[in-house]
Amino acid sequence: MEKQQPILKAEGLSKRYEDGVLALDRLNLEVGPGEIYCLLGANGAGKTTTINLFLGFIPPTEGTCLINAIDVTKDPLEAKKYVSFVSENVMLYGNFTARQNLDFFARLGGKTALTKDDYYRAMARVSLQEKAFDQRVKNFSKGMRQKLGIAIAIVKDAPAVLLDEPTSGLDPKAAAEFLDIMAQLRTEGKAVLMSTHDIFRAKEIGDRVGIMREGRLVMERTRDELRNEDLNRIYIDYMESEAPAAARRTESAEARD
Amino acid sequence: MWKTIVKKELLETIFSYRFPLFAVICLLLVPLGMAVNEAAYAKRVRDYSDQVRLADEAAAAIKIQDIMAGTVTIRGFRRPAPLSVFTQGFESTLPRYYEFTQDGFKPGESASDDETILSVQGKVDFVFLVQMVISLIAMLFASDMISGEKESGTLRAMLANSLPRDTLLAGKTAGGFIALWLPFLLAFLFGAVVLMLGAFPLAGGDTAVRVSIVFLATSLFVLIYFTIGIAVSTSTSKARTSLVAILIIWAAFQLIVPRLGDMIARLVYPVRTETQVSLQKSLLVRSLDLEQAKDLGRQYDLIFATAPKGAADDENSPERKKWDPIRDDIQMRTREKKSQQLGAIDETYEQEKRRQLNLAVNLSLVSPSAAFARTIADVCGTGELERARYLEAVRAHQKALDNELFSKVKRTLMIHGGGQMSMGFSAMPVDASKLPRFSIAPTTVAETLRANARSLVSLIVWLIAPFAFAYAKFRKYDVR
Repeated sequence: MEKQQPILKAEGLSKRYEDGVLALDRLNLEVGPGEIYCLLGANGAGKTTTINLFLGFIPPTEGTCLINAIDVTKDPLEAKKYVSFVSENVMLYGNFTARQNLDFFARLGGKTALTKDDYYRAMARVSLQEKAFDQRVKNFSKGMRQKLGIAIAIVKDAPAVLLDEPTSGLDPKAAAEFLDIMAQLRTEGKAVLMSTHDIFRAKEIGDRVGIMREGRLVMERTRDELRNEDLNRIYIDYMESEAPAAARRTESAEARD
Repeated sequence: MWKTIVKKELLETIFSYRFPLFAVICLLLVPLGMAVNEAAYAKRVRDYSDQVRLADEAAAAIKIQDIMAGTVTIRGFRRPAPLSVFTQGFESTLPRYYEFTQDGFKPGESASDDETILSVQGKVDFVFLVQMVISLIAMLFASDMISGEKESGTLRAMLANSLPRDTLLAGKTAGGFIALWLPFLLAFLFGAVVLMLGAFPLAGGDTAVRVSIVFLATSLFVLIYFTIGIAVSTSTSKARTSLVAILIIWAAFQLIVPRLGDMIARLVYPVRTETQVSLQKSLLVRSLDLEQAKDLGRQYDLIFATAPKGAADDENSPERKKWDPIRDDIQMRTREKKSQQLGAIDETYEQEKRRQLNLAVNLSLVSPSAAFARTIADVCGTGELERARYLEAVRAHQKALDNELFSKVKRTLMIHGGGQMSMGFSAMPVDASKLPRFSIAPTTVAETLRANARSLVSLIVWLIAPFAFAYAKFRKYDVR
């Protein structure tokens, strides 16, 4: 079967900050349509830097990141047409209602002709209760905000979705609902790149899982490869190992290929 | 995209707790300030009318004997400026009238003599409110427009879309400013209605044009402070830091720089007081009069020493025929000398003041507040331009009175050889009803704008520079 073109692609992507810290070291990563890629790693491992590079918030020191084959550094505005973003704490306008927030961000995402019904459908899809539609967001719980953030991503209907620790702080029910929505996005053919600390959910939902340490992708395995493995154990092994072995990464990649 | 940002900014500001507070402040203070100042203006107009009537009656009753006795004092009153309801400027410190005598003019009391102890707190007029309250609120509104959104994370959420940063900045500036400007517009209109209810001559002459200029210049001024606030917001990553920076900048522009300009100008180019100049002029007049009296006495003694008794009173005596042209010549030369030397004193004094003022104006252009205050005061007829016009009118009126009134009586004081003094008078008829009336030539709107060209340029620079700075900063702003 012919391999589909990746929607999200990082090629030799590096980022060294002004203070000299190498936050990302030659990252190579691809996420294809209908694929969920979970990036695991401790704080400072380079997960959020990767997402920031994809969103064009910071320029890379080396390498390129492509969204839908468009170089983010060269044409960030064009590239961002094809990506939605949901952050750890979905930040919305507290004095606006859920619908007003949805309308505002949908318009920024280029969706200017959506109706009230479209918004209600998107909110219903993420299981937001109907009474919340016209409530001010400042009264929302974290779970509700997260759902609304995903509704915004759904409304934008971009082929790629970037999620930065989206399940952090969610209660088990909200987290389970969140995973259902992720599964739906996969079915719709979205390329999802999710950074997370949540090993169990990463194993559950991820089609591929990568572990980052000190700016490097030290392990990458597919769902099939992880089926009979303890991801938690693997993660701890990689975190406790002396050197972030490029060799292990290579080994892993070779095994997969 | 731009419209979406403008609408969002507008709504976000309107929904914030700050908006109703600002609206209440505007809708309460602006019309109230106008109403209070309109009442004060109406009182000054009544006083002016009464005093002009009394002065006219007194002038009509002037007799030649009064001039000979040197007791004639004519008063020229300045009509209160209607637009002083917007800014007091020099309105209460300018003399309400000048007194004209044969020895020259001197200022009368000022309107500030009527003020109460409450005036030491400063005058709450429209321009004061704009400068001290609305400008600060405008900066505070803008203070967290960028840094606040960064802190809350919404800036990331917005820029995760294909939204150009310049569009975002322009949209936020426009939306935020419109939200700020709407209550201000309403308050101004409400104030205008209050003024019209108080019989303010809004439709008279070029008043409506001037009021429109006041509103436009004030809107521009508020926009300037708003963009300065945005420039600060794009230079910081925390709303609290923006707030502190804004308070410091506001205090510098509003309170320190305009005063510093005046202080430096006073130090660099000190100017004598009016009293010192007036004393110098009095001494000069006295000295020239004394010199003239001695000269006249000497010539009189020479001519009439050997003359028969009564020759001085006989207009046809040969001694009188010789004396009269000599006396006239001495008096004319003294008059010329007096006019020349007094004019030189005035000119030097004016030059000193002009030099000091120019330096103060140039230095104060560093602050948009000073440029704004000067322009508005001139537009409202209570500024430097009005003060200069007033003084010009006073000088012209003195000259006219000298020609039409005071010169009709010639007093000839003589100091003779032995130190004895004698005084002679000659008088021509005076028609008091034909005396010139005191008036100040009005300044046209075009003249006012021309005179304030530097301030207007400064305001435009102050509008463009912070926005350009904010744009440059925001292009590289770290949104993480």
